[in-house]
Amino acid sequence: MGKYSIGEFEEVVMLTVAVLYKDAYGISIKEEIENRLERKVSVGAMRTALNRLEKKGYLDSEFGEATAVRGGKRKRYFKVTPLGKRVLEQVMETRKQLWDSIPSVAFDFKFA
Amino acid sequence: MSSSSEISPPKLPTRFLRWFCNPNLIEDVEGDLSELYAERFTESQPKAKLKYLLDVLLLFRPGIIKNIELKNGLIHTAMIKNYLKIIFRNALRYKGFTTLNLLGLIVGITTSTTIFLWVNDEVSIDKFHVEGDRIYQLFRNMKQSGREVRTTFTVPKPAADLMREEYPEVDQVAQVSWPIETRLELEDDRTDEVGFYVTPSFLSMFSFELLEGDRQTSLADLSSIMISRSVAEKFFGSGWKDTALGQTLTLDDEQKATVTGVFENVGDNSSLQFDWLLPAEVYYKENTWVDDWGNGSFRVYFTLRDQQNAPIVGERIKNSIKEYAAGQDNAGDEELILHKFQDYYLYSNFKNGVIDGGRIEYVKILTAIALLILIIACINFTNLATARSSRRSKEVGLRKVMGAHKSSIGNQFLFESVLTATFAMGISLVLIQLILPYFNQMVDKNLFMDFSSLSTWIYILGIILIVGLLSGSYPALLLPRFKIVNSLKGVVRQSSGAAMMRKGLVVFQFAISTFLIISISVVYKQLNYVLDKDLGLNKTNLISVSLNYELGERWETLKDEIGKIPYVKNVSVAAGNPLETNWSTSSASWEGKDPNADYEINIMLTDKSFIETTEIQILQGRDFSSDLGDSTSFLINEVAAEVMGFDDPINKKLSFWGIEGRVIGVIKNYHMQDLHESISPLIISCFNPAQSGVALVRVSDNPSEVLVKIEEILTSLSSGYELDYNYVDEAYAENYSTEFLISNLVKIFVCISIFLSCLGLFGLSAFTAEQRSKEIGVRKVHGASVRHLVLLLSKDYSILMIFAFILAIPFGYYYAQQWLDGFEFRTTISPFLFVVAGLITFIIGALTVSFKSYQAARINPVKTLKDE
Repeated sequence: MGKYSIGEFEEVVMLTVAVLYKDAYGISIKEEIENRLERKVSVGAMRTALNRLEKKGYLDSEFGEATAVRGGKRKRYFKVTPLGKRVLEQVMETRKQLWDSIPSVAFDFKFA
Repeated sequence: MSSSSEISPPKLPTRFLRWFCNPNLIEDVEGDLSELYAERFTESQPKAKLKYLLDVLLLFRPGIIKNIELKNGLIHTAMIKNYLKIIFRNALRYKGFTTLNLLGLIVGITTSTTIFLWVNDEVSIDKFHVEGDRIYQLFRNMKQSGREVRTTFTVPKPAADLMREEYPEVDQVAQVSWPIETRLELEDDRTDEVGFYVTPSFLSMFSFELLEGDRQTSLADLSSIMISRSVAEKFFGSGWKDTALGQTLTLDDEQKATVTGVFENVGDNSSLQFDWLLPAEVYYKENTWVDDWGNGSFRVYFTLRDQQNAPIVGERIKNSIKEYAAGQDNAGDEELILHKFQDYYLYSNFKNGVIDGGRIEYVKILTAIALLILIIACINFTNLATARSSRRSKEVGLRKVMGAHKSSIGNQFLFESVLTATFAMGISLVLIQLILPYFNQMVDKNLFMDFSSLSTWIYILGIILIVGLLSGSYPALLLPRFKIVNSLKGVVRQSSGAAMMRKGLVVFQFAISTFLIISISVVYKQLNYVLDKDLGLNKTNLISVSLNYELGERWETLKDEIGKIPYVKNVSVAAGNPLETNWSTSSASWEGKDPNADYEINIMLTDKSFIETTEIQILQGRDFSSDLGDSTSFLINEVAAEVMGFDDPINKKLSFWGIEGRVIGVIKNYHMQDLHESISPLIISCFNPAQSGVALVRVSDNPSEVLVKIEEILTSLSSGYELDYNYVDEAYAENYSTEFLISNLVKIFVCISIFLSCLGLFGLSAFTAEQRSKEIGVRKVHGASVRHLVLLLSKDYSILMIFAFILAIPFGYYYAQQWLDGFEFRTTISPFLFVVAGLITFIIGALTVSFKSYQAARINPVKTLKDE
């Protein structure tokens, strides 16, 4: 996948962060993914992914306000960096190219 | 929202999370989890808790867990490199102190390791027998009415038979004779070797290595003999394996025996030492007296099926002699007791029928000395390190400014001391290899360091850690506490606590040294007392020459001939060396004897010139006379007269061993055993001089010339005879060989401990002198004399040594008195001794201090005052 490597789950997380835009923090990302993809996501798996993506520079984060329900702990809001956007675009591009290269007969199951 | 703020997630998982989680992540991760928890909480509390726990556990994964790094910095190789560099530079910069430090540690470690080797060897003796745990030995307590109990290892043979046949708890019983010297002959080769008569079970009970022959059958035949490898090699050369078995040896010119087995030479780690084994039955057949319950014969060993039965067996066997020997005229008031065979080597002293120490005391003394020396060496290190701490203060300050934690500075100094200890240990190991040959010669052992054994390495590592941590812990505690600003300025005022500590340690060191000096002086005094004591007979210039059976028969000719040699004043034949009397009877009877009382009375069989030759004093009555038929006349000693309750013993009837006669005189008490024992009652009889085992020869001079002549005479009388003699005074001193050895060892170690203490003192006084160099300079400028300055500098340490002396007195007195109590006849501890011990330490200490002080006081003040 070109010069950027990214896993499927990581891609989903990044896209979700983008979808949530100003409201992307731990729990909201987790719930969004669970709702849209109808699969369970553990805090641990998500945290690790977020952490890894941030280290790679695809995501950026900053602290928001603290709330009582969080035991006085601040939320960390994530947003996609320009680099992250390029990566997502590239992933999409690669996929598109692949789709485009599929011969039309390949998915023609009439004679299968 | 306010209501949910009261919902707090479970504590334990949260704490776990906080412990492992990367600090950068913890805040929002914990926040996320609490939010989730609050949400789930509204549905079901237990489920929420469970899920919370699950989430935390799932977070325990790489990426979330914080990086593992220890804060103390010891793990970073860069820091270790830095520490090493600093240690190395410091060591080179202050060469004098480094030498003092290392020298102290090296001497300390070398000495204590050598002692520990000895101790380890002592403790391991007799521990190699596989069945060792279950082997017991019988001892016989002989009660003497109104007197002490005497304990002996000779046990009546019927007791062993009884155990073998009737005691279900007992597995095997083995009888072993006392060491017997026998001449073994094969054609022209002959050798005198010591060995035992044993019952066949001896081989299966003890784990002596067998090279040829069979444990079960080799001693079954009465004409068999087993020999050690060295004897086999002597007779049959290196090819003994093929030729030895089946050969016939002649024993003591009469008996023949066929070699049926060869065993490996008995090692130094065995208290039973022997070079041949013969079937006990051979001895039993010739000596029917052994079948009597009243006579002690061979040593009896047995194994128990279950160790826990020892008290039961002990109780059963205890009174067997009284039961079975009842009514016999030689029945004494005797009891049998058990003692674990493995313990016998270290615990072999009996006092009033119960175990009362033995070699274990020397083992304890030397262990204590080894530990004390190690401690003294550690104290030196600690003292020098703290005294010099101001030198390191700038380094410490700088490290702190750079953010070093207190604990990391502490670790640095611990690391330094452990490293020094490692280095010292390395050199010590080399030194030990050099010293061991000499030490082995001194203690008559084969000690070596077994580097292939794991325990040696554990010991080495252990000593390094103990010495390193012991000597480094105080500096490691003290140095990091310096205030940064002060230490950078270089004006570290040492707290009074540190100075007190240092002084305390010096006092402690010198107290140990003084204590050791006191102890060794007492030991020395006692040994001199023992050797110079008037034993009741004149032991100097008295030679004891062993006789064989043939010479005993011809005692009259022999006496005549020897008597003609120039320088010979008197000759007498006797059963044995008078200072090692070991014949005794419990069946003596006399006029007015209480029929219920039992007395064990020593017997000396001799001839009529015994008193004259030994120069024993007659107190009452007369000596044996050559003109009168005195063969049934007896002399008794004072103790015997007292025991027998005679007001006037002369002409009283007395009988033993079937000899009936009368008392003709009372001799002054003389010591028949070494001074550990009290004087026992004694009867001297000249009934049958032909049974004599030795000739006692009193010479006026030139004993060696006389001995040559004696040898000529004796070989002409008995062709196979080989001269065997000893000087009675030397043989007597031999009794104290262990005491001599220990006192020599202790003497050396005391010197070492004093040396170590002085080393420390030297370092400290050098340091003080250096610190006060400006003060000395100013004083000199103002006209102080060198003498004044030396006094000034030495004063503090002198006071410390006086303290040490006062501290050492009670301990020294207590332990010395305890040791002396082990002697029946002992010297006194005089206050003079303490004064001398104190003076010695004081003078040595004062010399050490003033040497350095003198050097400091002699320096031209210009040198010390010019800078600044």
